[in-house]
Amino acid sequence: MVFHVLDPTNETAPPPGQLAPRIGSLRGKTVGFISNGKEGTKGFFAHLDRMLRTEFGVASVVSRTKSNYSAPADGYIVGEIANWDAVITGIGD
Amino acid sequence: MRLASKIHESPDIGAVQELYHANGWTDGLPIVPPTRDAVEACLEWAMTPPETLIGIEPVRAMPVTAEKLAVNAVMAGCLPMHFPVVLTAFAAMLQPEFLLHGATSSTGGCAVFVVLNGPIRREIGASGTFNALGNSDRATSVIGRAIRLALINILEVRPGGIDRSTIGHPGKFTYCVAEDEEDSAWLPLARHRGMPPEVSAVTVMAAGAPRQIMNEWTTEPKEILETFAAEMRANLRHYSLHAGNYALIVPKQLREHLQAAGWTKADIADFIHERARIPRREWADVGKGAVVRDRGDSIYPALESPDHLLVIAAGGPAGGFGAVIPPWLGNKSKAVTMAIGACVDCEPPKG
Repeated sequence: MVFHVLDPTNETAPPPGQLAPRIGSLRGKTVGFISNGKEGTKGFFAHLDRMLRTEFGVASVVSRTKSNYSAPADGYIVGEIANWDAVITGIGD
Repeated sequence: MRLASKIHESPDIGAVQELYHANGWTDGLPIVPPTRDAVEACLEWAMTPPETLIGIEPVRAMPVTAEKLAVNAVMAGCLPMHFPVVLTAFAAMLQPEFLLHGATSSTGGCAVFVVLNGPIRREIGASGTFNALGNSDRATSVIGRAIRLALINILEVRPGGIDRSTIGHPGKFTYCVAEDEEDSAWLPLARHRGMPPEVSAVTVMAAGAPRQIMNEWTTEPKEILETFAAEMRANLRHYSLHAGNYALIVPKQLREHLQAAGWTKADIADFIHERARIPRREWADVGKGAVVRDRGDSIYPALESPDHLLVIAAGGPAGGFGAVIPPWLGNKSKAVTMAIGACVDCEPPKG
């Protein structure tokens, strides 16, 4: 007996993400951190902050932490991104 | 009825199973072939056109249609009469406060716990007695499974994909219970959470595995509830300090003592709210001293307020066995209760 069965998947791809234009150098730039706020992020981003300033000449680092580590970044943080040259986001389990 | 899903042809039932397993469309168990007739029967029973948008998962902008839910419900073994519950449960999960993407992608590994209330329980044969949290009956088994299959297939919540759970738990196969309303003097959970009388409803909660308790050596309400509170304190110590929705499964043998003494669900919630809390310093007792710091005296309640406790009458007639169902990492996700096939928020008809 031949079965004709329906596809259970969404068949609709999620909107693709789009990368911002790459920057040629970090020197003199402003870099934003978006942390999920978990314990492990503290040491990681503190070390990365020092490294970016001392080894790559980054002018300033702006650190922001999400109010809910399981949800997308808060609107006010997303709104700030336009003021930054680059963004680094990460989880810290 | 115009269905939009792609149709696959398989020469026999074995080939159907292999097609679905090979594509990652199952939970590892055999499925019921989702034929056009079976899917249409679900949609007709629910009087819902296939293109009906049940909601959009906002983080990845993924639409969830009635047709796709019906396909997955049939695969799970649902009969048409089960489908309105699946539709409503998913609509509840798509409410912003449920935080569906976070709950289903977290390393914390929760499952969607579904509680049924109201007349629909009897209509579909959902049982809240023997083996209440296991395979107590067909209805709760297939409804819970439909939720998981729909997450897998519609929202790509596959292990290692969107689902980043470290260990997960068996409730991810199916995690559904019907409250034993007939054998309880208490207000059913949905009524307690604001639903009108005689309305069928589902409550969904992002939940960890059940933590079983036992106390058959007292008839004193406070002693019975202290056992539940202790298990919640254990969860605060061993899992997460964050407050959130907790569910208590109270079996007949224990609730008869509580009801005989005049304790309501609200009384239970008040008691548990006071007793289920620990100082942060207790984390040092269980190997987590590194994050106690100078906040050792800070008190962490399991419940932000008493109304965050979901008290559910369920379980077989004998045995002092209950359960604490803990939240997925506290208050990140809120339990949601929604009426089945009724618009409780609609304005009353004019004139």
